[in-house]
Amino acid sequence: MKFTLNWLKQYLDLDLTATELADRLTMAGLEVEAVEPLFVGLDLVKVGRVTAVAPHPNADKLVLCTVEVGAETRRVVCGAPNARPGLVTAIALPGAVLPSGMTIRISKIRGEISEGMLCSEKELGISEAHQGGIMELSADLASGRDLVEALELADTMIEVDLTPNRADCASVIGLAREAGSFVGRHLTAPIAGELPALTSANLPFVVQVQAAADCPRYVARLLKGVTIGPSPWWLRRRLLAVGQRPINNVVDITNFVMLEYGQPLHAFDFACLAGGRVEVRRAMAGEQLQTLDGVTRDLNPEMLLICDAEKPVAVAGVMGGANSEVHPATTEVLLESACFNPMSVRRTSRVLGLGTEASYRFERGVDPQLAPQAMERAVRLLCEITGATAVPGGVDYREGVKPRPTITMRVTRTNDLLGLNLDADTIVRHLASIEIPAVKQADETIAVAPPSFRIDLEREIDLVEEVARLVGYNDIPTSLPMVPMCFPEQDAARLMRKRLAGIMIALGFYEAINYSFVGARHCDMLGLAAGHAARCCVPLLNPLGEDQGVMRTMLLPGLLENVRRNINFQTTDVRLFEIGKVFHPVGDAQPHEKMHLTAVLTGRRKPRSPVVHFGGALVDIFDAKGVVDAILDGCRLPQLAFVPASDGEIAAPDQFIRLMVDGQEAGQFGQLSLKVAKEFGIKQPLFYLDIDLEVLSGLPPAVIQCLPLARFPAVRWDLAVVVAEEVRAGDLVAAIYAAAEPLVEKVELFDIYRGKPMEKGRKSVALSLTYRANERTLDDATVGAVHTRLTDMILTRFKARLREV
Amino acid sequence: MEAELHRLQTEARAALTASVNALGLEAFRVKYLGRKGLFTTVMRALGDVPVAERPRLGKLANDVRQELEEAFAAREAELAGSQMAVGAPRSDLTLPGRLAPFGKSHPVTQVMEEVCAIFEGLGFAVAEGPDVELDYYNFEALNIPPHHPARDMHDTFYVSDSVLLRTHTSPMQVRAMQKAAPPLRMIAPGKVYRCDSDITHTPMFHQVEGFLVDRKVSFGDLKGVLSVFIAKMFDKKTPIRFRPSFFPFTEPSAEVDIGCVICKGEGCRVCKKTGWLEILGAGLIDPAVFKMVGYDPDAYTGFAFGLGMERIAMLKYGITDIRMFYENDLRFLSQF
Ligand SMILES: [Zn+2]
Repeated sequence: MKFTLNWLKQYLDLDLTATELADRLTMAGLEVEAVEPLFVGLDLVKVGRVTAVAPHPNADKLVLCTVEVGAETRRVVCGAPNARPGLVTAIALPGAVLPSGMTIRISKIRGEISEGMLCSEKELGISEAHQGGIMELSADLASGRDLVEALELADTMIEVDLTPNRADCASVIGLAREAGSFVGRHLTAPIAGELPALTSANLPFVVQVQAAADCPRYVARLLKGVTIGPSPWWLRRRLLAVGQRPINNVVDITNFVMLEYGQPLHAFDFACLAGGRVEVRRAMAGEQLQTLDGVTRDLNPEMLLICDAEKPVAVAGVMGGANSEVHPATTEVLLESACFNPMSVRRTSRVLGLGTEASYRFERGVDPQLAPQAMERAVRLLCEITGATAVPGGVDYREGVKPRPTITMRVTRTNDLLGLNLDADTIVRHLASIEIPAVKQADETIAVAPPSFRIDLEREIDLVEEVARLVGYNDIPTSLPMVPMCFPEQDAARLMRKRLAGIMIALGFYEAINYSFVGARHCDMLGLAAGHAARCCVPLLNPLGEDQGVMRTMLLPGLLENVRRNINFQTTDVRLFEIGKVFHPVGDAQPHEKMHLTAVLTGRRKPRSPVVHFGGALVDIFDAKGVVDAILDGCRLPQLAFVPASDGEIAAPDQFIRLMVDGQEAGQFGQLSLKVAKEFGIKQPLFYLDIDLEVLSGLPPAVIQCLPLARFPAVRWDLAVVVAEEVRAGDLVAAIYAAAEPLVEKVELFDIYRGKPMEKGRKSVALSLTYRANERTLDDATVGAVHTRLTDMILTRFKARLREV
Repeated sequence: MEAELHRLQTEARAALTASVNALGLEAFRVKYLGRKGLFTTVMRALGDVPVAERPRLGKLANDVRQELEEAFAAREAELAGSQMAVGAPRSDLTLPGRLAPFGKSHPVTQVMEEVCAIFEGLGFAVAEGPDVELDYYNFEALNIPPHHPARDMHDTFYVSDSVLLRTHTSPMQVRAMQKAAPPLRMIAPGKVYRCDSDITHTPMFHQVEGFLVDRKVSFGDLKGVLSVFIAKMFDKKTPIRFRPSFFPFTEPSAEVDIGCVICKGEGCRVCKKTGWLEILGAGLIDPAVFKMVGYDPDAYTGFAFGLGMERIAMLKYGITDIRMFYENDLRFLSQF
């Protein structure tokens, strides 16, 4: 809601500056968005009178004007078609800098001296109007006056960001009422007090309202002898100051009164209303109306219309129809000042995608008592400005206006809620300052009759808020709640996520956060099969774009996009992880949401360390495996098994491992296949891991049982065997553990060697076995016996032979 | 032979003490410990001693040699340390360290954890709820019926007529109150969604909602708890002001501003010249919400507040474009 300081002062004796007023409004809950001085930069623009016009010797389209500016006379070259002797207009003198940035200088234009510039409204930043040429000012303005002073341009625009509850402040009068409490004064409205009732006898028109619930009040009057033309300057100035484009006197008056009172008005060309009839009814199926903006709208039976005897002429509370628009030849105007159901207007405005100043106000609720006052104000202005005469009487349909119950306010309750200690009289006084009538009762309560203009005040709590507001939130003493001491529940899943994040960070990963919605094409980029579970996702009805169209079912694609971005910006060593939700549809209900941890790593193995120390070795699958190991260790999850598999759809062949627990997949990791990497624009090897935290959370918590530390030394014996290439080293290690020799403490793989003197297709695998007994120091004979047993087992089981040293 | 060894030992000890620079040390090494040094010469003589004496003398020779080598190393380190060595290779400490791997939390997570930690310290429990929420919890139960203009304050993503992406974490108020009787003290951190995207809005962002319900909770208590929070989160001296505002699920409702952390109240671009920054929304829980969850609004009162994590992170770290949070550019993430 925009207004100007001077406009507000028209109704209230206010001795505050614009900035002071803005601060007070903000602190009263009417947040000021902008405070802008209007019509600045017009210091050297004066009123000038053209005394003579002569042709320009060197240009057909230019003339030489002699302009009287007070006691001075200036010669000005001008190209405006309306430059003529006797015209009073605006002249920018040398030195003036116009709002466009143009600096006025004494200059030669096509060989003729020009000592200034005659200006249009547009050139002065007053309006967009340019067509007519230079400004046409009232002939009684004395030349030489400052234009700003002569046109009373000096003013400040203030814009308030209204919360939906303060419908009353969508008007200058409403804001003036609120501002009245700042200075302890009440406003004076242009139309005050009760108006005489309108009589509808012998009217040349009828109004029929179908349902009072849709339209609680409808006031209509007829004006004859209207002359359509431009509005007087004072009216145009008000509209221009708040960014509205003046149209013609009738339309401008309806807009002005709407801004002044908050009551939207509509003017119909009465000649266009068939049968002299106004019907307020719901639309019929298939009906259409071309609205004032030129768009033909399809109407549905939910929408409320204003119709004549034959056709719709307006969408009630939203916009008028082109078929009954006031036009230059209009002489009879039917003026509507009505109150429509907020919900109905809101729904209609939504469906039509059409929000207007009128619908904005009706949606929030318009005081039903305003209709006759705004009507009276507009009728008076129409008579005064357009030369119209009002047909006596009119229609005032008011069946939907309901009396409002009195609200009882408990003094103790008010004080308890706010932490204050006010007495009833103080509360009454506060409410009275914004014209809320309140009466102290005998039983420590206050009876409040909510005024019609505050449609938001319905309950005791609404009044408590008003009292808090009027006392001032910052003057309410600060306290701390007295609460019982208790230890809040801890969410185990959340604790696990924090632990996981800590581990990932310790491993050199940065946390990423991606949007929960992604493009459905991610599944294609990953090359997922047609029936893949990840393809089954929850779509949004109104996404911002196709690439944010569905809720994600995987975290990986988002991270891959992040990797591409980083590589594009020349960061090629990337380790990112994300802990976030994926979403799987469950019929029409809320989807199943579960947490995943996904990480990607690519680039150098020692990303943050200088090449001078570590060289530039790149990560491989074993780095990914090490990360998984660390996670399992850090989260105490030894029961997860690593199962190499070949059916990873997005993994490179044979570079894919599943993490299994109790026959359930808890996660996977591997190298991203080159094909998928290419789809995401990544040209370097990339490894990923993904863990389903729902599965992890479901596992029984690990029992930690401290083991005694060994007191006797261990001995290490090596075992180097030559096996076929297909034999997996891990199987050798597992076989030794599986033999369950009590003295074997640890088996470590320390070398794999291929090449001479071994033949092709074979490799040497070297293991280091740690033997230890808990109760004694081992001797060679004891260890030797076990070592030989294990060696024999390996040789037989894996068709191995000992490697000659 | 034995005597020779002892003599050499004594002589070498003296020579080592006399070496005061790298050059001297190198001369010592060549003369005594080198391949053609005096020590090697003496050791060669070991072959000439009687077999029975060899182990004893061999051990003695080894002990002496070891002692000298250790003394040499110690002297060398000492000289290097005292920087008296000239011309010898030294460790170049301008070389970068071998950095151990270390990543970082996302700045939004960092701020969120900080906020949660403050309220957890005040005894608030942490609760999380679904991102894809029912219209009922997101709006209706919070006193925002269909077609209420307050819905304009929430540009909502819909999944169906009755299912949507939560526009705030306030639904957790209702879910928690439905589950448990007062007193309640809870915060609900999480992702929220609004269909809006520009330099100050992303369609997804993070919020922490908090609420407290008990008997006799007042607006003054709300002010107190939020003042404690702001003092911890920012600075003890950060000025705070409360302004009336409107949220359908609180009444009285307030916006809370803090003195601009950038210009310290002087007025700058970030605070739009006001000297104040809007930091959170709050209020007493509306009796209508209590009725929805079956609490007696005359018996219980409470307050609720909600704050955006991105906004706080932006203020704290001087981030000017909110979209940077979701690009996950390491040049950005590594700064926090
Ligand atoms: Zn500032």
